[in-house]
Amino acid sequence: MPNFNHDVVIIGSGASGGMAAYTLAQAGVKCLMLEAGPMVDFNRHRSLKAVYDLPFRGFGEPGRFPHITQASEFDANLWIDEKKNPYSHPESDPYYWVRIRLLGGKTLRWGRASWRLSDYEFKGKDHDGWGENWPLSLADLAPFYDRVEPLFRVSGRNEGWAQLPDGKLLADESIESLSMERFLASAKKLGVPTTKPRRATGTLASSVNLLLPAAQATGNLTIVPNAIVREIGVDPKTGLVNAVHYVDRRSKREFTVPTKTLLLGASTLESTRLLLNSRSRQYPNGLANSSGVLGHYLFDQFYVKNTVTALVPEARGGKGPRNLMGGSGYVPRFTNLKPGKPEKNYLRGWAWDFGSGGTPSPELFPQWGTELAATMADVQGAGFSMTTMGESLPRFEHKLTIHPTLRDEWGIPAPYLEQRYTDNEHNMAKDAMETGVAMCEGAGFEVLAAHSQMVPPGESIHELGTCRMGSDPQKSVLNAFNQAHDVKNLFVLDGSAFPSGGVQNPTLTILALTVRASEYLLAQKKQGKI
Amino acid sequence: MKRRHLLQTLAATPALLPAQQTSPSPDENAVLAVDSPESAGLPVRRFFTPDQFSTLQSLADLIAPSIDGRPGAKQAEAASFLDFLLAKSPRDRQALYQRGLDTLIRTSRTRHQKEFSELPSAEANALLTPLTAKWTYAAPKEPVAAFLRAVKADIIRATANSRAVAEANVAGRRRATGLNPYWQVIE
Repeated sequence: MPNFNHDVVIIGSGASGGMAAYTLAQAGVKCLMLEAGPMVDFNRHRSLKAVYDLPFRGFGEPGRFPHITQASEFDANLWIDEKKNPYSHPESDPYYWVRIRLLGGKTLRWGRASWRLSDYEFKGKDHDGWGENWPLSLADLAPFYDRVEPLFRVSGRNEGWAQLPDGKLLADESIESLSMERFLASAKKLGVPTTKPRRATGTLASSVNLLLPAAQATGNLTIVPNAIVREIGVDPKTGLVNAVHYVDRRSKREFTVPTKTLLLGASTLESTRLLLNSRSRQYPNGLANSSGVLGHYLFDQFYVKNTVTALVPEARGGKGPRNLMGGSGYVPRFTNLKPGKPEKNYLRGWAWDFGSGGTPSPELFPQWGTELAATMADVQGAGFSMTTMGESLPRFEHKLTIHPTLRDEWGIPAPYLEQRYTDNEHNMAKDAMETGVAMCEGAGFEVLAAHSQMVPPGESIHELGTCRMGSDPQKSVLNAFNQAHDVKNLFVLDGSAFPSGGVQNPTLTILALTVRASEYLLAQKKQGKI
Repeated sequence: MKRRHLLQTLAATPALLPAQQTSPSPDENAVLAVDSPESAGLPVRRFFTPDQFSTLQSLADLIAPSIDGRPGAKQAEAASFLDFLLAKSPRDRQALYQRGLDTLIRTSRTRHQKEFSELPSAEANALLTPLTAKWTYAAPKEPVAAFLRAVKADIIRATANSRAVAEANVAGRRRATGLNPYWQVIE
């Protein structure tokens, strides 16, 4: 018989769930964490293999992951089983929902780029009139970024730019390679700012090694994997959350656990799906949805992978000096920063990751046979490439709804996802490509290929929105502390809370918001308000 | 002596087996060297017709030939692997390959009155000219060009990821490639 001695239930164990447990457990709060996926044992589940020893020689099983371009045959078992976990989208508008359902969630595989948002995002409406402001500013969140960055050992270089706020970073003072120096000089000439990458360091930098062990060491965290939450229960008298109903992933046996407070961090789309699936007399359109905006304003950051692929001519044939190639960098948003009418034919802006070194794909060369083999030997390690990340604008009509008939393996109604990129995003992608070509040519590189074809929505794994925070309860689901306007003991901590997203990778902001929300919860409990 | 009887006899007389000298004690786990199914037998062809398969073999040899003793598509049995892969692939991928190979077969017969696999290399290479087009993000609209782009990438990958190439790299003391952490099924 369980003793139900927990103060809070946390759903999800990734960035937001892990950080909530880390903050609350260390403050003496008894936490019960429900994770839909199994526990990962790195020693037992992972071993070194040769690609030829895989059943499909590294091609992967055909049709297993039609839309997860990040999956390889080596790590196929890390990604969610698409057959057991279906979702749907309009046939004309593909949506690539990329999921990991394991203890630690997507922090097991994240790219670890860790940028702060700025007031160009938090107060975007004030700047250009589009969308809604966040109900908080950089000044409100900066103290929490200050605490998260050292925990994740984020390295980088502070530049003092308003659009890319400085952080508490491990200083990256690495020397640039000669090819990078040329590229940076070309960027400077064109007025394009550049900086070092800003990334969490370490071999894993995940919830499972940086957050959960410390939380569990307090004795205040109980972790329950394989618990798929299907519905949140509400007290009909108070309208407050009072229970969580979950299914054992393996046996499909159903359970209910009472709770005084619920922190939801199941990931952007899973959290909103769960709220929409939690209908009751008080909340007939989904839990905490008196505004009617739950599920709406789905957006992400669009990606144009390898926008430009180029060659550094002096590196051909391995003839360049040893310090010619190598290194990587970042171009922050630099367009439309001045107030007033946008200087471009789009709102907001885009960013780049770029890197020197590597070998371009043989696909890019119009050759085959011995000629291609000679070329590939010649260009080995001589490549330079850049990938564009652009802001996509949140729109009411882009949304998650519950599919009327589709169910997952556990009988839980599945989501229907509607998002498409508009002229604003297409114009941005084109501008990024043209600027990239100009910068590479300015550096004296040979441009092999350039394109502005965005991957479908969702593919960047930066899906955001659908449970947005805001000052006005008529237009938003959550307040400035991730607390539901309608349900005071419900907090939604993941990327679903974002009213807008900029171009910066969202995980650092999710972590900082979670610390802030968790400490607000502690204060509210102390004051007897929750 | 019948083979079955021989095996029974050997099984009943373990003391005669030299392997016993290196066997672990009854309390230890044995670690045995094993090999993959691919290394033990000849693959059964499942997808391509004989004409399509011989055309694909010749095409593979043109795209990724053996150079300076290093294995090419032939040594890597890339065509045979692609037969297996295509048999399991989605219908549109199968159609791309079938249409592309059939077009090469037809063009070769019409233009040269020969099978593609019998063409001198200059004539065979001339049929691959769509591959000389500049790369674009979108796949070419013309079916043969789209097929050639796909098959070029697949043959190069099937060759590079083969055991033959891995063994040649090790034998040539080149850097080992294709070793990565593999994730088991997590239940």
